[in-house]
Amino acid sequence: MKSMLRNLAVLGALVAAPALAQDIRLAGIFDGDGAAKFQTVIDAFQAANPGMTVTMENTAGSGAAMYPDMLRTAMASGDPADAFFMWGGTVAGPFIKAGQVMPLNDVYKQYSWSERFPKWIIDRLGVDGKTYGVPFHGQGMGLFYRKDIFEANGLTVPTTYAEMENVCTVLQAAGIHCATTGGKFGWHVMRLVDWFIETSCGPDVHDGLNALTESWDQPCVVASYQKLADRIAKGRLVPDFLNVSPDDARFAIYQGKAAMILEGPWFEPAITDAGVDPSVYSFFLPPTDHAPDRYSAFPEQWMIAAGSKNPAAAAKFLDYITNAETIKAHPDAFGASATIGITPDCAKLPITCQIVDITQSDRPAYPPTDQAFEKELMDTFFEVQDGIVAGKLTPADCAALMQKQAAAWKAKQG
Amino acid sequence: MQGIQVSGQVPRRTRSKGQRRLTKLQPYLFIAPAMIFYLGFLVYPMLVSLWTSFLDWDGLSANYTFVGLKNYTDFLFHDDVAQTALYNNVLWTLGALTIPTSLGLLMALILNRRMPGTLAFRTIIYAPAVLPLVSVGLIWSWMYNPNFGAINLFLHWVGLGNLAGGWLSSFDMAMPSVFITYVWGSVGLPMILYLAGLQAINGDYYDSARVDGANAVQRFRHVTLPGLRESHVIVLSLAVIGGFKVFDLIYTMTYGGPGRVTQVLGTWMYFQTFQYYHAGYGAAIAWVIASIILVLAIPYIRHMSKE
Amino acid sequence: MQTAPRPRMTAGSWLVLGCMILLSVVWLLPFVSVILTSLRSQGDMMMHGVFTWPEKFLWSNFVKAWSTGGFGIYFKNSLFIIAMKVPLGIALASLAAYPLAKMSFRGRHAIFLFFLIGLAVPVQVALQPLVLMMKALGLSNSLFALLPPYLAFGLPLQILVMRGFFRQIPTELVEAARVDGASEITIFRKIMIPLSVPPLAALFIIDTLATWNEFLLPLVLTSASDSRTVPLGLLQFQGEHSSQYTLLKAGVLISIIPVLIIFLFLQRYFVAGLTAGAVKG
Repeated sequence: MKSMLRNLAVLGALVAAPALAQDIRLAGIFDGDGAAKFQTVIDAFQAANPGMTVTMENTAGSGAAMYPDMLRTAMASGDPADAFFMWGGTVAGPFIKAGQVMPLNDVYKQYSWSERFPKWIIDRLGVDGKTYGVPFHGQGMGLFYRKDIFEANGLTVPTTYAEMENVCTVLQAAGIHCATTGGKFGWHVMRLVDWFIETSCGPDVHDGLNALTESWDQPCVVASYQKLADRIAKGRLVPDFLNVSPDDARFAIYQGKAAMILEGPWFEPAITDAGVDPSVYSFFLPPTDHAPDRYSAFPEQWMIAAGSKNPAAAAKFLDYITNAETIKAHPDAFGASATIGITPDCAKLPITCQIVDITQSDRPAYPPTDQAFEKELMDTFFEVQDGIVAGKLTPADCAALMQKQAAAWKAKQG
Repeated sequence: MQGIQVSGQVPRRTRSKGQRRLTKLQPYLFIAPAMIFYLGFLVYPMLVSLWTSFLDWDGLSANYTFVGLKNYTDFLFHDDVAQTALYNNVLWTLGALTIPTSLGLLMALILNRRMPGTLAFRTIIYAPAVLPLVSVGLIWSWMYNPNFGAINLFLHWVGLGNLAGGWLSSFDMAMPSVFITYVWGSVGLPMILYLAGLQAINGDYYDSARVDGANAVQRFRHVTLPGLRESHVIVLSLAVIGGFKVFDLIYTMTYGGPGRVTQVLGTWMYFQTFQYYHAGYGAAIAWVIASIILVLAIPYIRHMSKE
Repeated sequence: MQTAPRPRMTAGSWLVLGCMILLSVVWLLPFVSVILTSLRSQGDMMMHGVFTWPEKFLWSNFVKAWSTGGFGIYFKNSLFIIAMKVPLGIALASLAAYPLAKMSFRGRHAIFLFFLIGLAVPVQVALQPLVLMMKALGLSNSLFALLPPYLAFGLPLQILVMRGFFRQIPTELVEAARVDGASEITIFRKIMIPLSVPPLAALFIIDTLATWNEFLLPLVLTSASDSRTVPLGLLQFQGEHSSQYTLLKAGVLISIIPVLIIFLFLQRYFVAGLTAGAVKG
């Protein structure tokens, strides 16, 4: 009898609980270390907001391939986390299209977020005048290079595409590959192709190609694929990379067999984590010979699920973690933050500092194609790219094939 | 013949009507607990997916359109990748039916004898199956790595450096390379099943075969192989099932690439469902996989099940 | 084993032994990469490659892997699931397999084939309905959510295997017991199960392993870290932009220990003559 009463009391407490406390569930992709660092931020938030509890549910995994699967299943079953981590562009597209994400225009006004983040990032998170995400990271990509190898070969940072070619020629004479890349998943090699397209076609045509308003079957696209084909033929890239994972491709630059790799700010802590000397690495944006001289960048964001039971609390938490004060108090928990004026410890992460200065500026950036194309069309892009690398397709075939598939895809969308 | 035993007309005690009804119900009572779980947590979700396969649905939003058999006709007539995938599955299944199964039988026969080190050998052959699949993919990506992989290092070391290659990165070698990993990982299962099967063969049969003057090969053909009949059914049907359901190895080792040469139905279903947001089409592929397996495996199992 | 005569090693036996040793070396080679990597520093591996001898052995990787991976909780969860799922699943399957193998009744073949359909359907398509069901049952995000689908998805294979081996048990034994008035459940317990030790051992091994390494269901059915299992724990070492390979490999080695122990313990039931003798007796 007594225990029954106790049970009833417990039940009563459970029923009453939601009214008193505010629970926020988060979904993200932090690995073990990252989760531990981010937990300090969560703890600080909970201390500052009594009655609010935050639970973080992480799904790590190489390239975070499992995370969207988990997210999608949870959403379709009506049991999503209140706020969740997401990449920008078309990766978030299906979630928005399906009505699973909450538009945040009002919240932006409430917390004055428009002034907090660079315009290009907010623009990238918008669809049809609505903004669905809070910027978390601004990831600008460029070439990490080995200073020691450049110096030993009398090389300086190239400022034009022709100079870049020269750097590769000199390195090759010294028996060093110009760059290393990993073709598994496709997106690592894509970064090179994107740069070739920006160089050959220029900003306007490149944007048109991404929007499918320009034909892919045009000379500048053929020239872009030709650039990739030439590099393969000349052995400028560490060979046989088509199914090497991007993480494994890094061995070559660590070991000095290649001098460059196209990565973003995450690569700097990765060098340290890999246990190699980070001081011989430096960074520059690959030259495109165009004005404006654009670079590849993408945002990472937090979104609030349409099915969230506690959207106001979730927004409050997102405001907290993008607030300059918070980030300054927990410098290790945030990478290349999207919040204006916030850089990581520049003594510890000088290259990240350099990249953040660029991403927080007004310098125009182009999106990586995998955030401009939906995945289905993107896999055609990857297939074509692999065909060039393996010598199965000519650059002209590639351009024609891309156009054919793009047109078919566009027709299917109606 | 067995019908007579079950209804049990020859018992020494006479049975009441109620008892007889109970006896009749008995087989169903034995099956019921399993059936309840099976219906609830396997059949029901499967029926949901069958319904999904008739829809045009992104798997995410509240809206969908009923499209009838369109997903199935698209699969058959308008999907080039599906053709590649199907072809790969057929080759894979043929390989799976022959290579790991016969190796597993060989291992079971060898390791069923009294020989020093049997325990160690059994453990070693079975060991790959113990590894989590994320790990198998990573290990073999490293084995095949063109720059620091064990296979190329070995080839250079023995002076066959000209045979070294990109393995998984090569359009022609990627599929055979993954299959070798599969063989490495899947000799253990048939070995275990054949080992269990060998225990059930009555030793007397061997003795009488010996008395009849049968040699080792004849004893294998006329005693061991027929005695392993039930094991064959299990091993070979699992090979067909595994051959058409293969997913994890491809997913972790090649991700369907390079190009799309290593796509199989399992990965293509996954790409369609989870990456392209075509939940209806993905479900249709799943049911194509299931239908192929059922059409191939069930007649075989039925045939072998006849007394 | 004890009663067996000492094996006679002929020239042929030596040859077979030699081949087996060679094969074992080849078979173990991929494991070498796991062991080498688990024992060295990340920098050492990156600079010198995977298949090289470590500069220094770092046993601390195992300690770190255990704590960073939060393996304590994952191990507890996985062991709990195995302790619940494996015996229960095999018991259900054996019960169902017995009448399918040794009784004659209406719908016998149809029921058997109906169970087999479960083998043919890929589990991926069931994920979403399962998540919905668990939510309806109030099991969302709990370790218990894994149990019913694991049981259901294990049954087809287990029924196929157990039915096959039950069929090999001489029908005369069963008939004799029936004539003696033994109930079906007694026959099942006293004849079928004792005579099926090798296949049961095989199923225990196969099922423990499959459950221990299963990845998809906990990925979608459990999202809170305190209800997740070992394979998801291994993900902790693979970040978005870099992987801690050395800790991952140490984690892999830790994670296979329980399954290896179970294998070593159960494989001793594969000893020639075990069942044959019992049938004769």
